[in-house]
Amino acid sequence: VTPIANKTAALTQRLSEAEATIEALISGQIDAVVDTRTKGPVLLSKAQDALRASEERYRQIVETANEGIWTIDANSITTFMNGRMAAMLGYTQAEVIGMPLTSIVSKAEQPKTASNIENGREGRRSESALIRKDGTELWVSVSSTPRMNAAGEYAGALAMITDRTEHRQAEDALRRSEEQYRQIVENTTDGIVTVDPSGQIIFVNKRFAEILGYVPQEMMGKLATTFMTPAQQAVAKAAFTRRANGLKDSFDTGFVHRTGREVLVNISGSPVVDAEGNHIASLAVVRDTTESTRLQSQLMVSDRMASVGTLAAGVAHEINNPLAAVMANLDYIADVVGKLGTSSPGAMTPAMRETRIRDEIKAPLDDAREAAERVRFIVRDLKMFSRSPSEELKGPVSVKDVMESSLRMAWNEVRHRARLVKNYGNVPDVDANEARLGQVFLNLIVNAAQAIPEGCADSNEIRVATRLERKRVVIEVTDTGPGIPPEILNRVFDAFFTTKGGVGTGLGLAICHRIVTDIGGELTVRSELGVGTVFRVSLPEAVIEPVTAQPATIPPVGRRGRILIVDDEEMIIRILTRILGKEHEVVATVDAREALALCVAGEKFDLILCDLMMPLMTGMELHSEISLLSPDQAKAMIFVTGGAFTEKTRSFLSDIPKEHIEKPFDAANLRAIVQRYLR
Amino acid sequence: VAKPPSRSPVHLRLYVAGQAPNSVLAIANAKALCEGHYLPGYKLEIVDLMKHPLRALKDGIVVTPTLVRLSPKPTRKVIGTLADQTQVILALGAA
Repeated sequence: VTPIANKTAALTQRLSEAEATIEALISGQIDAVVDTRTKGPVLLSKAQDALRASEERYRQIVETANEGIWTIDANSITTFMNGRMAAMLGYTQAEVIGMPLTSIVSKAEQPKTASNIENGREGRRSESALIRKDGTELWVSVSSTPRMNAAGEYAGALAMITDRTEHRQAEDALRRSEEQYRQIVENTTDGIVTVDPSGQIIFVNKRFAEILGYVPQEMMGKLATTFMTPAQQAVAKAAFTRRANGLKDSFDTGFVHRTGREVLVNISGSPVVDAEGNHIASLAVVRDTTESTRLQSQLMVSDRMASVGTLAAGVAHEINNPLAAVMANLDYIADVVGKLGTSSPGAMTPAMRETRIRDEIKAPLDDAREAAERVRFIVRDLKMFSRSPSEELKGPVSVKDVMESSLRMAWNEVRHRARLVKNYGNVPDVDANEARLGQVFLNLIVNAAQAIPEGCADSNEIRVATRLERKRVVIEVTDTGPGIPPEILNRVFDAFFTTKGGVGTGLGLAICHRIVTDIGGELTVRSELGVGTVFRVSLPEAVIEPVTAQPATIPPVGRRGRILIVDDEEMIIRILTRILGKEHEVVATVDAREALALCVAGEKFDLILCDLMMPLMTGMELHSEISLLSPDQAKAMIFVTGGAFTEKTRSFLSDIPKEHIEKPFDAANLRAIVQRYLR
Repeated sequence: VAKPPSRSPVHLRLYVAGQAPNSVLAIANAKALCEGHYLPGYKLEIVDLMKHPLRALKDGIVVTPTLVRLSPKPTRKVIGTLADQTQVILALGAA
């Protein structure tokens, strides 16, 4: 054995001893190390136990963590991944050691990651996409911390990684579902609007903006009340308060369209609350009912016309009776007057003749007048039912008057079936439209009559009663018909529900219910089989004081005036001339063009009584011609009309300062009006 | 495993640090080793460096527990608790 070989063997020996020492140190088999300075052993055990325990703790934390843990060195080479991190990527822990960052982070995310490492050598959180071993993408959120060496240089980074795939999927699903809702909200045919508690519009969909003539951007952020009239604002504020208290609601109201016109809507409102249940907004689904309201009012008119149509035969009968009386009495008078001329002339003094005329003619004249008066009432009733909605004005209405009109209209239906018993209590006026209220009463009366079979009028009764109950005006229409079976009693107000087979439309009571509800009233029914049925209308008293009619003062005989009469009906000209001719100078023509010619020729009149509807030139046309020619003469015009207005004539008349005279007129009233304007 | 010649007495010395856990384990393992598998004429000497600290430097010992085969020459060292008997026998016997 050579000395060199010995030396080599000794060195090898010492090296293997050193290795064994290090190995033993690492595996924790060492108790003490000999310190060359103190020349004695230093016990390691306690420190080592502690170290081992703490290492074990960390190891457990790192390995059992739900987050992935990943360390890289300064060159972005993987130095460690915990089991969770490796599993997320589909690798074993051993496989990833030494893998560069670039083969783990997805290509798209690499520039971002690189710049994060470049710039932000500080802790940061971000989202990133990693690539699994199988090539699929893994979305993670990354929380990274740089690691420095002893010299303070960047030595790599430690990152905590959370799997976001599920969050991503949930977020995608949420986004998709939100998109779906957005589509629904944007494409629905109803308007949708949300308003915060201060009344500001947070959101409107396209449709709502469209209903009011705007685009959504113009409305958002504005106060909702910007788009309402003061009355609508009050309604809206009440609704906001209701919803702030957690209540839902549904009601009819309106908005002001961009163009200023009113838009009628139905609103279904509900409160919007956050996760804690705090009220954060008020949500309204808005349906434009302008069109359906218009259709409905048309339907109401047609139902009313249908009722009148049904009653036409009865009405004709009602007119024929008094008309027969008028004609017979006039014939009789003509006969008497005719005989006066032939019978024993000279046998009577003029005084005797006068007495004879009075005695013979007075009574039939009075009868004729009374009969004619009845015709006038019936025609007025008919007119009441034929008014169009645009002419409908609400106002204090006497329930008794409207009921009387309705009873006259329905009399032919009633009289063959039952006795009519009226019991009018002393009730105040109600705030309603008389045509619509009449429609309700007429329906109830006709229904009552039709419930009773014909032929036993003596043993049946229709009772009409009015009374005041707890500040409300109650109208009851009671019949002694067979009664309504309980199973259909709650359906009688449904539209298109009818028990009259082909005769009824099923709309009558539905419309009555609507009319009554619209004016703040209630329409209810109770019925007992074999006893009869009671329909009961309860209405609020009119709040407006009824305007007391001015007592017609009979003017003293006034001055004589010059009057022009224009009417295409010669009969009317004759009677007007007869009434006014003694007190005034009367000029008359059947042609408005002739009247115009007179004015053009410079003739002056104190008053011009003019018909409205004439075939060659209407009263309106005459008025506008005369206005151009001589405004003074135009102001002298009084119109005499036979009713059945168009909307145009109605608005024309309301612009004329002088009141108009309605046909038929009575002589005293006509004289009084003429005198009033002559003064 | 090649056994050393039977005539040669085997002199082993175990350096320990008092009752430290690894030292206790090493003493137990060394005794078991000698009684069970090694030559009948063995001599096991135990040196407690906590009692005789100066022996450490003198004998060139760096850590405890360390088992040294003093004879037959050359000397061999085995470091640790001597838990793996096969390794220990290999280390001591491959002379």
